[in-house]
Amino acid sequence: MKLTAKTLVRCVILISVILMFLFPVYYMFSVSFSSKPHIEEGALVPDSFLGNWIDMINGYGGIGGPGITNSIIISVSCVLVSLSMSIPAAYAISRYRFMADKHLFFWFLTNRMTPAACLVLPYLIMWRALGIWDTLPGVIIAYNVFNIPVAVWLLASFMAAIPKEIDEAAFIDGYSLWGYFRRIFLPLIKPGIAVTSFFIWMYSWSEMFMASVITSVNSKPLNAQLVVSLGRVGWGVEYGIASAAGALTILPGLILVYWARGYLAKGFTFGRI
Amino acid sequence: MSKYLILPAILVIMAVGLIPLFVLINYAVQTPYAHENVFVGFGNFQKVLTDQRFLDSLRRTVVFAFTVLCLELPLGLGFALLLYEKGKLNTLISTIIIVPALLPPISIGLLWRLLIKTAGPIGQLATVFGLGYDPFRTASHAYATILVMDVWHWTSLITIVVSAGLAGMDRTPVLSAKTEGATRWQIFRHIELPAIQFPLVFVSLLRLIDALKIYDEVLVLTAGGPGLTNEYVSLLIKTKSIEEWLVGTGAATSLIYLFIVLMLCYALLIVMTRGRGVI
Repeated sequence: MKLTAKTLVRCVILISVILMFLFPVYYMFSVSFSSKPHIEEGALVPDSFLGNWIDMINGYGGIGGPGITNSIIISVSCVLVSLSMSIPAAYAISRYRFMADKHLFFWFLTNRMTPAACLVLPYLIMWRALGIWDTLPGVIIAYNVFNIPVAVWLLASFMAAIPKEIDEAAFIDGYSLWGYFRRIFLPLIKPGIAVTSFFIWMYSWSEMFMASVITSVNSKPLNAQLVVSLGRVGWGVEYGIASAAGALTILPGLILVYWARGYLAKGFTFGRI
Repeated sequence: MSKYLILPAILVIMAVGLIPLFVLINYAVQTPYAHENVFVGFGNFQKVLTDQRFLDSLRRTVVFAFTVLCLELPLGLGFALLLYEKGKLNTLISTIIIVPALLPPISIGLLWRLLIKTAGPIGQLATVFGLGYDPFRTASHAYATILVMDVWHWTSLITIVVSAGLAGMDRTPVLSAKTEGATRWQIFRHIELPAIQFPLVFVSLLRLIDALKIYDEVLVLTAGGPGLTNEYVSLLIKTKSIEEWLVGTGAATSLIYLFIVLMLCYALLIVMTRGRGVI
């Protein structure tokens, strides 16, 4: 009797958690597969209407199409660009003591914490002056301001776990710095690089505020397109297509959540916990 | 000298983090007058700090940040303590509750807008029960929705960070306290709480700073509406400096906002580096 009561409580808890956290996600997918009259009826089960996804992938109605490719290009390039600068920096930080390293750390931290709202105005002015406004490289450069600080300290926390003696032994054996990195060091911190890449990718894929200001027509990522289309209040919002785009933006997170759950605490706290 | 490997990262952060700051300062002390920028010193700051719209949005943002923290902290802590024991069910639940933390904030806003619109599930439920719930016309309903949305989005962050802290603690004092007959509350208050103090303070400051920056979700949900009743500072800055192109006051507002966030950042730094190095 006791066992059944306990099982019942557990079932109730599980069902309520699923209802609370997964139902909204399900509903977005459901709306994305529903036709317009079906959405307006407020049905919870989709009527297997593929039009929204087809429109979204082709970019009708200003959402999707080139936006999807832009989003993918931006987030993947951000990972490559930020990693190429963060791995050397993190190595230096984990191996040497710097003068005023607390101040350096604070400076990096402030860049991660700066509200995007404070940066959009200078970026708009600077990017226009430099001629990289509304280009993909412009967006990729701008995102470094959040990505590099996180990546450097996350990687440094992984690198600090690798003893200095390995470096010394490798250098005595005649490895060059580059050879040591390629043959020994990078394979050792592979998990750290994977976690850091995931976090850089996640920030760049999710960011919308800066993208909506420093792009206009040629290089708008999916998120920024979504905001524009949801802002057209007078025209009546196309919830179907918007949901299809929203569903696409949340899909990678849903797929990776099981893998990422063990690293989330580390990633959100700059490798401190 | 592999010490200099740090230089590329520093140069890039200077280019994208430091120069924009100087650009902001440059524009904040000038005001356009007949196609020319005229130096006005602190004039723009004075204008911003006496602007009722800015003061309202600032008060709203600070109150919002502290409110969500007060809601999320006990909830997240409770989840972490409940999910402490390992098991299939607990792993499943903790995986499910972190889903929102991985989704783009803008999609969270869209998700909730779908739920609360009149034909959405919550909108329908409200109609059935006759609650008169209308976030698109009533300011307090919109505010409540934003609070619930933020709790839904970020409570799990506190849970996972606290769980990581709990997982790293030594369990022997808990066991001996249990044999001595300590109550659950005593164990929590005197053994577990001191052990998770660092992660708890850390994640609270992190949440506070991120809550001050709220933009995407509110923009999509009601665009700061109805009217200006839910306009937070970042929405105000976007409207002023980008849409109305009031560069001087926009830059001054940005700097004031940045200053507040940086003060909290400094508190976070003190917590992070207390008793240990920067790595």
